[in-house]
Amino acid sequence: MRCAALFFALTCFLAVSHALGGETEQKIRIAVIPKGTTHVFWKSVEAGARKAGEDLGLEIIWKGPLQENDRAQQIQLIQQFIAEGVDGIVLAPLDHKALVQSAKDAAARNIPLVIFDSALDGEAGKDFVSFVATDNEKAGRMAGEHLVKLVRPRPAHEKDKPRRIQPARPAPGAVLLRYLVGSASTHAREEGALAALKEAKFDMLSDNRYAGATSGEARNAAINIFEDLHLASAIFCPNESSTHGMLLALKQMDRAGKVRFVGFDASPPLIEALRKGEIDALVVQNPRRMGYLAVETMSKHLKGEKVEPRIDTGAALVTKDNIDSEEIKNLLQ
Amino acid sequence: MRLSSFNRSLPAFGPFAGLLATWTLFACLAGSRFMAPENQRLILLQTAVIATAAIGATIIIMSGGIDLSVGSTIALSTVVIALLLRSGAPPSLAASGGIAAGVLCGLAIGMCIVGRVGWFAAAALAAGAAWFLWERFGAPTSCAAGAGVFLVVGALNRLFIRELPLSPFIVTLAAWGAFRGLAKGLGDNQPVYPDSSGWLPSLMLPGGAGGYLPPAVLIAVAVAILASALMRSTSLGTHALAIGGNEQAASYAGLPIARIKMYVYALGISLAGLAGVMQFSYLTIGDPTTASGYELKVIAAVVIGGASLSGGKGSIAGTLAGALIMTIVENGCTKLGMHNWVQEIVTGGIILGAVALDRARQRRRATP
Repeated sequence: MRCAALFFALTCFLAVSHALGGETEQKIRIAVIPKGTTHVFWKSVEAGARKAGEDLGLEIIWKGPLQENDRAQQIQLIQQFIAEGVDGIVLAPLDHKALVQSAKDAAARNIPLVIFDSALDGEAGKDFVSFVATDNEKAGRMAGEHLVKLVRPRPAHEKDKPRRIQPARPAPGAVLLRYLVGSASTHAREEGALAALKEAKFDMLSDNRYAGATSGEARNAAINIFEDLHLASAIFCPNESSTHGMLLALKQMDRAGKVRFVGFDASPPLIEALRKGEIDALVVQNPRRMGYLAVETMSKHLKGEKVEPRIDTGAALVTKDNIDSEEIKNLLQ
Repeated sequence: MRLSSFNRSLPAFGPFAGLLATWTLFACLAGSRFMAPENQRLILLQTAVIATAAIGATIIIMSGGIDLSVGSTIALSTVVIALLLRSGAPPSLAASGGIAAGVLCGLAIGMCIVGRVGWFAAAALAAGAAWFLWERFGAPTSCAAGAGVFLVVGALNRLFIRELPLSPFIVTLAAWGAFRGLAKGLGDNQPVYPDSSGWLPSLMLPGGAGGYLPPAVLIAVAVAILASALMRSTSLGTHALAIGGNEQAASYAGLPIARIKMYVYALGISLAGLAGVMQFSYLTIGDPTTASGYELKVIAAVVIGGASLSGGKGSIAGTLAGALIMTIVENGCTKLGMHNWVQEIVTGGIILGAVALDRARQRRRATP
């Protein structure tokens, strides 16, 4: 009985306090749904999105799935925000097809949708407002070309001549550790890097292994191909967790610094490894800018301005030499 | 009303009191955003998968078993459905395929638990051998090889192992890994994208403001009613409950323990297959990584619903309430804009609190 009375009292208290508190001021509410919430990358996106919300006077609701790769939960979140009637949804889809139905649901309820980071099947500008992302294939190619340059430096006197292929030397080996099955953004990076490496006639020792969602899993996946890692002279990983896992594996095998290794995205341990020479270069996106631009695009659309269907948020190559330049420092914040 | 009589009337309603409390809590905190009728429908929709799987798990847990492989079975089922659809099967056949995958998983688990692990190994190795040889040597050779492997392993089993009952915890832990691997293998390590899913996605469509309940919710309710009737008024149900209460006594009473357990696992895990159909309808793709962690959500729902993990006790209706509590917490925390880490701690707290309350009430009832 006491229990029930207590419960009743609590309920009354909450109901009254809620009624007195009332609804807070009516701001435009925008739900931003990332792919996950624990990677450093998404923290930067969040910072950018919140900054945009502050600058433009919007309420930002930041909510990602509990597990990094849980497609079903991302669908649940969108359904909830649609039912709640938010003014706009900014989404980084975990799957290019599984989220299509949710995009249709949003369109049916006239809730505008901006896609960012990863692609969604459909036409930007028609099925959803805009696609705000790094051109991932270009960024992956940038990484692949840098690896080629590191492994096969061109003699100074040949710098201005077209590249010739020297058939006498054996093809250098390369390893690509992929991220997750079905993730469109990392897939484009993998394909970009793969194309650059294959064009330079690298021998792909391993390009079909997947790292998994966390750096722990990535480390195991990398250890599982240790024979290839011993033979390889070039390694590429397409995101933060796979790069970190690969770095841990290389350290364990005492290969860090002895093999040319280009990763993707930045986090404090990766920057430290870059300074130590264990990683040769990191391709970094501009997650802050991506978060900012995605929210800004939504805001422009809501105000009735015309927005571009495709917005490139850019990528840069960070090396030991340029890491302390102003431009890169801003990116790594 | 005297204290004791009030307490006596409550136990059956324990999980429902918890459900009401959770709902009221979030209704107060989040207000109209949470209480909107559309959101209620969404909560029901988002409970359907867990609830269907949890009904199966309730039957298994009441009979003294456990199933840790639910999430993997759901993922396997979505992949099987997607593969069938991609190879041109009509949606109804594909959905049946998903449920059949669940039944097969249940039979495999049941065989290992009741002591026929040797026969299961023989069947699995034979199928593996036949599949391995299929493309190289054609159908007749591979079938013959499969039959040969089955006979050899079966004979070895008959000579050396015979009956070898294994703990359900261990068997389903093995299945948790193996089924997930099988799903990934069938999907060639990536999601399976069927060209068209026919009417399957409409099972889980949320519908607009004035829409009807999604079919998946109605299916889950129908399954719950059938399962309740099965447990209460068929000999299979009462026998399963008797085994869960005291297996030795049930065995002395002459019940065919092994056969009943096989039925229980096949039936219970077929519902995980059905949950897989709903999950597929939700995702519209076959996703080998989906539903990871659902096994624990399902067990939480069953336990909040008043079942005992040592068997012999539990209720289907309670499980539904437990599953709803889990969804309400998830939904309400999102409405409140809570961080994920807060939500995870709150979920843990509510599981602990709900079960502790239920047990405390039962103890007070037991000692007047």
